[in-house]
Amino acid sequence: MNVVRQSGTGVFSMNGREWSLLVACLLAIVIFSVASPHYATPGNAVTVLRNSVELLLIGLGMTLLLAMGGIDVSIGIVMGLAAIAIGRILGADGSPFVALVAGPLVGALLGCVTAAVVVLGRVPAIVGTLGLLGVYRTAVFVLLGGQWLSGLPSSLTDLLAATVLGIPVPALVIAVAYLIVWLALRRTPYGLHLLAIGNSEEKARLSGIPVIKVRFLTFVISGVLTGIAATFYVATYRNVEMSIGSTSALDAIAAVILGGTSILGGRCSLLGTVLGVLLLRILQNGLLLIGVPSLWQPVVTGVLIIGVLGFEAVSNRLPLTRFQRARA
Amino acid sequence: MRTLRNLQGPALTLALLCALWLIVIVGLLALKPSVFNLGTVTTILQFSTILALVGLGQGLVILAGGTGIDLSVGGAVSLSAIIAMLSLKLGLPPVLLPAVCILAGAALGALNGLLVNGLALLPFIATLGTFFVYSGVALAITGGAAQSGVPGWLLVWGRGVVAGIPVPFLTLAIPCFALAGLTLMATAWGRWIYAMGFNERSARLVGIPVDRVRFILYALSGSLAGAAGLVSLAWLGSGRPNIGQNLELESLTAAMLGGIAITGGRGGVGGVFAAVLLLVTLKTGLLQLNINTVWQVGIVGALLVFVLLADRLSQRWRS
Repeated sequence: MNVVRQSGTGVFSMNGREWSLLVACLLAIVIFSVASPHYATPGNAVTVLRNSVELLLIGLGMTLLLAMGGIDVSIGIVMGLAAIAIGRILGADGSPFVALVAGPLVGALLGCVTAAVVVLGRVPAIVGTLGLLGVYRTAVFVLLGGQWLSGLPSSLTDLLAATVLGIPVPALVIAVAYLIVWLALRRTPYGLHLLAIGNSEEKARLSGIPVIKVRFLTFVISGVLTGIAATFYVATYRNVEMSIGSTSALDAIAAVILGGTSILGGRCSLLGTVLGVLLLRILQNGLLLIGVPSLWQPVVTGVLIIGVLGFEAVSNRLPLTRFQRARA
Repeated sequence: MRTLRNLQGPALTLALLCALWLIVIVGLLALKPSVFNLGTVTTILQFSTILALVGLGQGLVILAGGTGIDLSVGGAVSLSAIIAMLSLKLGLPPVLLPAVCILAGAALGALNGLLVNGLALLPFIATLGTFFVYSGVALAITGGAAQSGVPGWLLVWGRGVVAGIPVPFLTLAIPCFALAGLTLMATAWGRWIYAMGFNERSARLVGIPVDRVRFILYALSGSLAGAAGLVSLAWLGSGRPNIGQNLELESLTAAMLGGIAITGGRGGVGGVFAAVLLLVTLKTGLLQLNINTVWQVGIVGALLVFVLLADRLSQRWRS
């Protein structure tokens, strides 16, 4: 049983997987810089980071969900619904501060709905959230009434474009969210319970862990993080389109799996998720710049998921290599 | 009430589905009396053929347990139809088109089986990955454009109607369901599938070739998706790269509504058949009432959630 064994103790201590992700990111940057003259520019670097903001927040929640043996394929559309709420408030000339609260609130509410179905209803997470995905998609269409929400006032944008001590607000929010989730995961009973549930829900229940409470809470946390992501989405693009968030769930799952969090539970890496998000966005941006049509993006993401999992499965079956012995 | 409680398993499922179906039909008739004519029935059965084939594969994979699920069915339908049309363009003799379409589906299903069995990946994550790969490749290699050029004789089969019933429904959907039903009820293979769905460990201990059965079921689910792709080609006259859209959700809903337990080992294909007809009737009825198609996915999703919750509640109520 390796429930308690966790990779590293410090906030930023890295294991083999995370180092290799970092190397992969750098390698991808080098390759794309050679392949495309438009790649290695400061503007493009900002674009990549800018595009990663929402996925980093959603990915933190998805890390918790997958480590717990759960999943939420509706999370992208949850961001869409939260974004619509924010957009409506801004569109009605509401205070940007009300809009700031609306995102996390809607996210938390929808997290409660998902948790009610999946946790209280004891429905497998994948099937339950797939059903909710259908419902939420219809909700997005109906709420938008077939039109984009566009030309929103810039009050929220101005608010979030500020810098604190030279650090942009999005980076600050992500850092704070990362720290809070890291502390919850590594320094509180909640984290231990979460990983234990991921290892074996039955054993966790038998050893007295409040399984239902922990699982419910995790879906709500994921919802709140997604609501914050929606706030940044609206602030940046100042519109809400019909297809908002349609690939976010897949991207988040891919990033988390790339990062080394095990769906079989018990292993979880937040830093891995952050690097996974960056690698994914670097790849997507780079492929676009060297002329691969964006239609191929879900294919690349799907292949990454299967490839990483397949590689892990094969390498676990071989006799312990030096790389693994070092990790064990 | 007493008799209702005495009804169990498949009989109860079928009774409930028929009741629901009647409610749907009566409701639609009340809203718009002209909804149902022979043409509508033909349309419903035509739409049903694709969902029935895919739902059958989905149902069998779930029935065999081991958290089995095939989320890639929609992508497999699209991709096998596209592969068939593209190989036609590359000089494949048109006679082989049906075979290539079904074989392509079988290969895609076998890849799922390999990932789930050989690499021991969790079915939902492996097939979620292949779903995006299959549907993505179908869209990307065609650039989203429909592939025309289906041979005329295939259209005759696909669009033929005998006594108001579409020929593909008669010659493909019904035989497949009959065969699957017979296999489940009357052969050792059927007992094996129920046994491994009910308790995989025991099934292994008594010597059931669990891995082989599971691999074959995933390949079968892919083949049925390929057959559904073929039906779409023969009916629509072109290969559309997004024809399988939402089929993963609809086939899951059909399987769950049809009384197959999500944990496996319980249920039958008769219920799935009835559930497919119910779903398609509902969808077609909404279409006839001029309700925007965006409502369809939401209604199907809500049905899925509702069925799963109702199943849990009824289990608690019984125990």
